[in-house]
Amino acid sequence: MSLSFTLNGQPCATQAPDHWTVLDLLRDELGLMGTKYGCGEGVCGTCTVLADGQPIRACLVLAAHVRGRVLVTVEGLERDGRLDPIQTAFAERGAAQCGYCTPGMMLAAKALLLENPSPSEHEVREALSGNLCRCTGYTKIVEAVLAVAGSK
Amino acid sequence: MHPFRLLEPESLPEAIETLRRLDGESRLVAGGTALVAMIRLGLVKPDRLVSLHRVPGLNRIRVDGGSLELGAMATHADIERSRTVRDGWPLLAEAVHRVATPAIRTSGTIGGNLAYAEAASDPAPALLCLNAEARVLGPGGERAVPLARFFRGFYEAALEPGEIVTAVRVPPPPAGARGGYVKFTSRSAEDKPLVGVAALVVRGGAMRRGAHRARRLRPDAGPRRSGRARAARRGAHRRRGARRGGGRRGRGRSAFRPDGQRRLPARDDPRVGPPAADRVARRHCVTRRH
Repeated sequence: MSLSFTLNGQPCATQAPDHWTVLDLLRDELGLMGTKYGCGEGVCGTCTVLADGQPIRACLVLAAHVRGRVLVTVEGLERDGRLDPIQTAFAERGAAQCGYCTPGMMLAAKALLLENPSPSEHEVREALSGNLCRCTGYTKIVEAVLAVAGSK
Repeated sequence: MHPFRLLEPESLPEAIETLRRLDGESRLVAGGTALVAMIRLGLVKPDRLVSLHRVPGLNRIRVDGGSLELGAMATHADIERSRTVRDGWPLLAEAVHRVATPAIRTSGTIGGNLAYAEAASDPAPALLCLNAEARVLGPGGERAVPLARFFRGFYEAALEPGEIVTAVRVPPPPAGARGGYVKFTSRSAEDKPLVGVAALVVRGGAMRRGAHRARRLRPDAGPRRSGRARAARRGAHRRRGARRGGGRRGRGRSAFRPDGQRRLPARDDPRVGPPAADRVARRHCVTRRH
């Protein structure tokens, strides 16, 4: 099956087997390894990417279902060699331990801030509720997101 | 993942025709949040999926003749963000907001949620309280199925082979009705509910008689609506200061008691307080609010 969509600001036309999910497509066909394969069942959130600015689970969404949509992966957060404020905040505040949940966390946070530029702590926690950090480093992660919100 | 062919009809008649031509190894897919996970786990191994994504207009949310009409492909995120739903059907907005996590709600659809007929559905109790009905299209034409008759049992909806849920229609709640949804989860707030209860309290008339429709979830059955309970009326008595033992019948009929061993609580539960709908819901299940 042929597919075209926008990926990290660039048009992307590719082929994929019918049964592939967005995660299969990103990692196995397009070589974008920043999106992680965690549970594969939509529970852990580390495969979170943005579709039209909204967070989706790349492991559950069929590749065919993102035809014509605008996808952003962690590789697309950086612009012109400059990190996104979320990436900077995560780095400066030590909001990553093993790092496996980090791409999904940052994209879930990005989706929140696109919709609500100044969220409360409760809103941040709710937005990240579908992203598990098994190092349990949630405190720094929430601080980093709030720091970005507060700096605007 | 088990390989399958994906068919993408571009209209409802084409979808019906596609399903008619295929055999039992085919499945409809909407958002995929349940089905794709089940395929990954090897629980189902369909040869073909028929996707509804290319059917235009199926995600529309609109009001028609006073009733809310949710297209089957409207996602939970679409519904919880809809001003129309939040203003006119707040109980539904509340329940839909409690489905899983944000990144699931952006893909999972209301039609898929209902057709899946899982007992652990957050929207189903609210929609049962609100007397919603499913619009179903099949080879034999269109029909409306009240949700009270839609859930037949364990992952079993009242759908014939080849039928598609195209919309959910929700009448306006009675004037002055207040609702609430609570769920009990085993670990964290975004889990599927072990028990989820929605209640709608309708007050009216000089008697201030309340009636609510609560419903219970059982793992061996689909979502159900309980009988009318009397607990809300007891709530009204309490507000007038006449705290009495009324409402026992209502409680006995509606409480969630697996094997009957768990009598429910809540008379002395300090969390029990207004509003009435919340009180009713709490009386019917062991719950905690997240």
